[in-house]
Parts: sequence; C-alpha cells; structure tokens
Amino acid sequence: MKRRLFTLHIPVLLIVLFAIAPYIWMFISSITPEKDLDKEVRYFPRHPTTENYVEIFSKINFASNIRDSLIVAASTMLIGLGISVSASYSFSRFRFRGRNYLLIQFLIINMFPIVLLLIPLFVIMRVLHLLDTYFALIIAYSTFTIPFSTWMMTSFFNAIPRELDESALVDGCTMFGAMVRVTIPIAMPGIAATGIYIFITAWNEFLYAAILTGRTVKTIPVALQNLIGEYEIAWGLLTAGGVVSAIPVIVLFFFVQKQLVSGMTSGAVKA
Amino acid sequence: MRKILLVLFLLIPVLMFATGQKETEMATVHFWYHFDNPESAVNPLVAKFQKENPNIQIIPERIAWNVYNQKLLTAIAAGNPPDVSQVKLWWQPQLVEMGALYPLDDYIKNWPGRDDIYDRIWKLTKYTDGKQYLMPLQMVILYMYYRADWFNELGLKPAKTRDEFLQVAKKLTRDTNGDGTIDVYGFGIRGARGGHDFWGTFVLSSGARFFDEKGNPGLTTPKAIAANQWFIDLYRVHKVSPPTTPNDGFKEIIANMKSGKTAMTIHHIGSSKGMVEALGDKISAAPVPKGTERYWTSFGDEENGVFAASKYKDAAFKWVSFLATAENNAIWQKASGQVSINKSNAMTPEAQSNRFLKATTDSADFAAVLPALPATAEFVESLWPTLMQRAFNGEISSKEMMEKIQELFTKK
Amino acid sequence: MSELKTNRLFPYALISPAIVVTVVIIFIPIIQTSVMSLFNYVIWKPKDNKFVGFSNYMKAFRDPVFWISIKNTLIWIIGTVFLQLILGFITALLLNQQFWWRGIARSLILIPWVTPSVITALMWRWMYDGNSGVINDLLVRMGILKEYFPWLANTSTALPAIMVALMWQGFPFFAIMILAGLQAIPRTLYEAAEVDGATSLQKFTRITLPMLVPILFTSILLRIIWVANSVDVIYVMTGGGPGYATHTLPVYSFIRAYKALDFGYASTLAILLTILLVIFVAFYVVKVLHSREEF
Repeated sequence: MKRRLFTLHIPVLLIVLFAIAPYIWMFISSITPEKDLDKEVRYFPRHPTTENYVEIFSKINFASNIRDSLIVAASTMLIGLGISVSASYSFSRFRFRGRNYLLIQFLIINMFPIVLLLIPLFVIMRVLHLLDTYFALIIAYSTFTIPFSTWMMTSFFNAIPRELDESALVDGCTMFGAMVRVTIPIAMPGIAATGIYIFITAWNEFLYAAILTGRTVKTIPVALQNLIGEYEIAWGLLTAGGVVSAIPVIVLFFFVQKQLVSGMTSGAVKA
Repeated sequence: MRKILLVLFLLIPVLMFATGQKETEMATVHFWYHFDNPESAVNPLVAKFQKENPNIQIIPERIAWNVYNQKLLTAIAAGNPPDVSQVKLWWQPQLVEMGALYPLDDYIKNWPGRDDIYDRIWKLTKYTDGKQYLMPLQMVILYMYYRADWFNELGLKPAKTRDEFLQVAKKLTRDTNGDGTIDVYGFGIRGARGGHDFWGTFVLSSGARFFDEKGNPGLTTPKAIAANQWFIDLYRVHKVSPPTTPNDGFKEIIANMKSGKTAMTIHHIGSSKGMVEALGDKISAAPVPKGTERYWTSFGDEENGVFAASKYKDAAFKWVSFLATAENNAIWQKASGQVSINKSNAMTPEAQSNRFLKATTDSADFAAVLPALPATAEFVESLWPTLMQRAFNGEISSKEMMEKIQELFTKK
Repeated sequence: MSELKTNRLFPYALISPAIVVTVVIIFIPIIQTSVMSLFNYVIWKPKDNKFVGFSNYMKAFRDPVFWISIKNTLIWIIGTVFLQLILGFITALLLNQQFWWRGIARSLILIPWVTPSVITALMWRWMYDGNSGVINDLLVRMGILKEYFPWLANTSTALPAIMVALMWQGFPFFAIMILAGLQAIPRTLYEAAEVDGATSLQKFTRITLPMLVPILFTSILLRIIWVANSVDVIYVMTGGGPGYATHTLPVYSFIRAYKALDFGYASTLAILLTILLVIFVAFYVVKVLHSREEF
C-alpha cells in the first residue's frame, strides 16, 4: 500500500494538478472583481465575487449557448460514430478492392488545412439553405471527424480477434448481426474513446461555428469570443464562461468513462 | 444509424422549405455589428427604429471582433453579404475594389442630418474616387495617457515635443523599490498588432510619409529611416518600454498602466473608464507630442456600409442614417464608450468637463488616417507587427523594415 | 476470412456513407481550393485574377518565410506530439490501475481537452504574461527565475512556450486513446507472464507495449496531422510572432488568406503543407513498418 503512494497516488495527483492548474487559475480570475485583476498576481482574491457567474447567465444568455453546443456536439457524435464505426468495421474486417486506396485517401484529406475550406463550405451551406442552423455545424463537424474516427476505430477493431466474428457467423448470425452483437460490444472502449473525441471536437470548434452560424445558433466558443472586443476583453465574464463550459462535458464523461473498461471483459464472456 | 440518416435527409428539404417560404412584405435589413461591451445598445435602438418605421425589420447579428473581417469577406466572396455592416475605414479600399459597397452620395445629399456630423469626418471617410460609401458611426482619437501623480512627484509636464518626450520617459523609467531591477517603465509601447498607431505618432510625424504631396513614396528617405530608428531605440537602446513590448497588445498595455508597470501609453477614450476605476485621479490625458515636423495621431473610426447586393437599400440607408443622428448616436456611444460623430453631442456640459474628452477634441485638428489603399489592411494586420517585432528583437534594421513597408505600398 | 466474403456488397454498403459525405464536404472544396493555387487570386483584386500556372509554387520556394515556416512546422510537430505522447502514455498507465478516486481523476484530466481553444490560448497567454503572469510569479517565488521573463515576446522561447500549452491541451487525447487500447489486452497474457515470474518491467516491454503498437501507431499518426494543422492556439497566443518565430505553415497560410486575402498563394502554401505532411507521414509509416514486421 505504501508503495502505491509513490508509484500511483502521487504521480496521478501531480498529473491531475497539471491538468487542472490553469483551470483553477481561470476560476480564481473569474471570482476576482475586474478592477483587481490587472493589479498583481493574487492566489486568494481579496474580494471574491460571484457577479461574473450571475452576469453570464443574465446578460449574455449563456444557458442557450450551452444548449446549442450540446445539441451540436451530441448530434455530431451520434452521426459521426454511426458513419465511422460502420466504415471502420468494413476496413478492419474485409479485404475489398480499393480498400487501401480509400484508407490512404481518408488520411490525406485530413492533411489539408481546413481553415482554407471555409469559403467553399459557406457556398455549399448557402445553396442548401443551411446557414445559421444546427445542421450546418453537425454536417461540417461530423465530416471533419469521420476520417480521424474511422482510422481510430479501424485500429481498435483490428485489435479484436477475427475468430470472434467468424464463430458468430458459424453459429448462424448474419453479417450485420455479427457486427452489431459481437464485435461492437467488445469494441465499446474504443467507441467510447472515439465518441469522446468527436464530441469534444464539436464542442470546442470556433471558426466554422462563427462563420457558418452565429445568430440563431450560437455555440459556447462563439458566445465567449464575443466577450473579446477590439479594445477590451471582458476577462471576468470570459473566465467564468470558460469554467462553466467545461462542466457539462466533465460530468458527462464521468458517466461515460466506465465504458472505457467494461467492453473487453463483458464482451469476452459473451464470446 | 440508418434511421438518423433517414431523418436527416427528410429534414433538410423541410428546413429549406421553411426558410425559403418567408413572406417578404416587409423590408428586412440584416445588420452586422461588433461591440466590446457584453451588453450592446443595439436592441433598444432597433426597437426605437422599428417603432418609427413599422414596415422595416432590422435583423441584427453580433459578430466577434476577432472574426469580424473574416466573416464579412467570406460572406462577400460567397455572394451572401448582409445589407448593412459596421466597417473600418481601412477596409474601405478593399471593399470598394471588390465592388461590395454601394455609394451613398445620392441619399446623403438629401439627408437633413448631414450638417450635424463633423466636416473633418466627412473628409476623412470619403474614398479616393470622390464617392462617399460610408456613413459615420463613431470616432476615437488616440492621445497620451499619463500618471499625473508621478509627473507631479518628479516635477514633469506632459511632453510637447519628441525630444522632451524621451527625457520624460527616461526619468519615469526607474527602480522604485530599490531591489536593483527596473519596475516602472516610462512608456508602454504596443508592439503587437494594432501598435502602428504608436509608430505613426513618432515616425510619420518626423520625416516619414507613405506618399508625399507629389505622390512619391517617402518611407525610405534618410530622415524616415532615422525616425524609425529613433522609435526602435525607445525599446532597444533607452529601454523605456517593458521587455515584453514586442508581444504586447492592447490588453497588456492597458493592464500595465493599471498595475503601475508603465507611466505613459497611447490609447483612446474607450479605456478611460477602466483606467479611472483602477487609478482614480492619478491618471490623466494629453495630446501626443509633436514629431520633428508635425503632429500625428491616429483617428480611429467606425462606419456603417450599405452593400451593393442589398435588396433594400432605401431601408438600409434609413437605418444607417438613423444611427448617425445625434439622439440615437448618443445612445450608441453611451454603451460603446466612444465619441459621438455629431457636433450637437459635444456641447453638453458633462462632455465639456471630461479630461479625456478634452484630450480627444484637442487632438482633432491633426488626427489622421493611414493611406486609403488596399495594401493598408495587410500593413495593419500582418506586415507591421511582424516587421516591428523583428526590428525590436534586432533581427532586421530600421532601413530593412522601412523598405519592406514601402515595397508593399508600391508594388503593382 | 472466407466465410465473411459471402455478401460482396456488404463492405461497400458500410463505407459508402463515409465516402459520400467526405467527398461532398471535404474533397470537392479541397479540389476547388487546389485549383486556386494556380491562379493569381487575391480576393480584393477581382480584375487581376488570372491563370499563372505554377508561379505561386516558384514564389514559395523563393520565399524565406516559407522556409522559416517549414522549419517551425517540423519542430512544432515533433516536439508537441512527443510531449503529448509521453505525458499521455504515463497518464494512461496510471489511470488503468484500480484505485478509489480513479473515476474522478479520469474526468479531471479531461479538462484541458474540453476547454475551448480560444480560452486555452488566452489563459496561457495571460499566465505567461511578462508583467503580471502567474508562471513568472511562481518561478520567481520558487527562486528559479530572478526576474520576470517575457516568454512569448522572446524569439527563442515563444515556440517552446506554445508547445507546452499544446502539450497541456493535447495529452488527454493520448491518455484516453491509450487507456481504451489497454482494455483490449487480454488479462490471460499477464496471468501467464506472472506464472512465469516476469517482472513488471518485463510485462510492460513484452506484453503492454507490443499489444499497444497498433493503437499507438494510429493515434500518433492522427495526432501528427492534427497538431500540424492547428492554427487557433498559436494565432491567439502570438499571432505568428514575434517576427516569424511562431509561423508554422498553416499559420502562414491562414495569415496570407485572411489577413492579406491572397487566396492563390495561401492555397499554394496549403498544398505544400499537405505534400510535406504526406512525406513526413510516409517516412513515419516506413520507419514503423521497418521496425515492426507484423504491421
């Protein structure tokens, strides 16, 4: 038990501290009154205030931004996962004509900086009448994450022995059934990890959200960016918003993280 | 997954139908704007306007400053600009070249509010082709903020000339707590994007000109290079500006003033409220010092442009002119913290007694803008900060810097 | 897998949605943008828009900033991915063990990743601040520094400073992916090794590491591409400066596109970045293939 203190608890604590230190600093800034912020470094604000938290919900309607972000990120995750899990299952389990070519093509289109695709994409969304709707972002994000997720999922599937699918087929499963009932449950840790990746990418994206939406649909990063003006930064509100925006994902993840371990053990029993 | 896709494909046409069917009896004006304060003055003004003009609907969209220009250009390039948008003077050349803006001369000719706007603003905002594309909205003029308490302590006065300024800045740069390191710097220079205003005050006033009266470029004359060297030396030789200078933006220069790290800096009235909150009577303001030849300070501006692609130009003009009339403009400025473009708004007693407003109006005669050329945007956005940072870090000489700038403005 | 070949259309049916959306949303726009690189396309000069062949590419090869950006891009990719990988790997190994606050620890390490990039960049910029930044304050208090240092204003520390910020932002990705990868290693392998009396180190190098290779390979590969293309944090923290010290190729391309509106040249830089990445990745893949026969 003593040994675990130095090999486990303390290192984990240090890493967690590194991960949350800037976040804690952000929290400290958010409860410091604006006029004390610029003066000197203070670890315990002299006049802590919750004013900024009240203001982001009353003044800039942050609740609706959280809702928009949740809708966009959750839909992106579902669509992105649906498309990439099936594609990667195919890449992992079958050898068909054009497979390698397609895999490599998926990788290469990822190498092109997507900031330069703004104008063509804006035109596409305008033609489809999707500007300033959830769909614009859901379509853009799920597409941007598909190549990545497909690659990730392909290697997760590759790690699962093929004999499992084959024995399911021998037992009379259809091909679709073998995929859905046998392989996917075992791949749950990988699917959860990939889902987290897609969700967070959609949750954080700013540039496309700012250009393709902004009035009726306004995600958290866009709302926060509005606090950064030409001559002034509403620092207190910005940090309060930053603190709040991480909470839904952290809470969500707390429940999802169990998936990261359960897959293999439960799946293996079934097989 | 198939279900989701199916739903998606069914929803797209429904959505298209829904947005395509909007009945347009009313003139709708899409208005893009940006605002530094979390709470803007736009909604009450929209309500007031629509009460006066029930057949016009204003759809305001607030856009973050960081992407404002990018979003506007993307929308124009994709053929879908708003009807009216807040724009900067230095974007005007590019927007006009792209054919995006609609000239307002015919409207303004018959607009009664015209004479209540400062003549100098009309002059500065007119484009080089003689047309007026922009409707003024607000203005700011940069001046020098200084720590009145330290000036008193050291028996200093706000500098009138460049040489005086250097002496003052040197005296203010000191080690106040005796630990052997400098803790107060005389002058906080903005070395990152936006700092060309500081540069202009000392370089464009002392022999450097983008173009002289005959239209010849004038940035690489010996006088111009010497003026630029003088500015670089503030940081490199005299060290009157903090070591962080090359990366300092407005947040840093203002924070340094508030925390007492610097004793002078250049900014405008927009930051006066925050300065007074932090420093009270210790902060004051004066016009910038004169260079070797003339005064130069930056005229900061904000205008509204009507887009050539707009279907409702009459309604759009009504909205931009509504915002430019004294009563409504005062409401706007109250929230923005900037200066009204209307003469009648400057006459109020509270405006007269404000020391920051006084520094602003005292500088009005020599406030200037950068050349109205398409290259100016690139100069401001990327070329100046990059070159200045390299010069401050000793990677290029004054001459190389000035040659690069001249090259941008003269290349065909 | 002879049995699985019974329905030859099934594999295609599974991939087609992915192909359709990527072609429409990414592939076609990439082609359009690539064509721009052959034109003198500056948005505000519609009259001068003409076909110029490969002269934008020639211009890039003569452009010193292009070469500086390439150098920075390589340093940036290698340094950032390495830092993220090491920290992420250690984190995953630790968080794979059983302890009572594991769920909380796993959730908390996700914070860097879920914080919007804009905030991350501003936060770090503020923490690095040379006049009132908390990092300087702490280092001076601990006696490591004598006086405040302008991390982001100094040409030689700006890029490493941003790399640390990106390590912070990106290590949870590796931690989560590797954590998921660890679950696929059958327990029986460890049990068998324990019977044979293997030490922890042996179990790590003989079982854990080899079994993780596929997932490490893929996540490093994807991370290289992702890091290479990330613009937002760098742009907000330094705007590519001071001077060209933090210009990476995508930052340079972004600045040319949206600050100078020179889309022709910006597209050229984007294509060259893609080519550079293809070479870099090919090099990486060959290296891995060389050292690992079975992959």
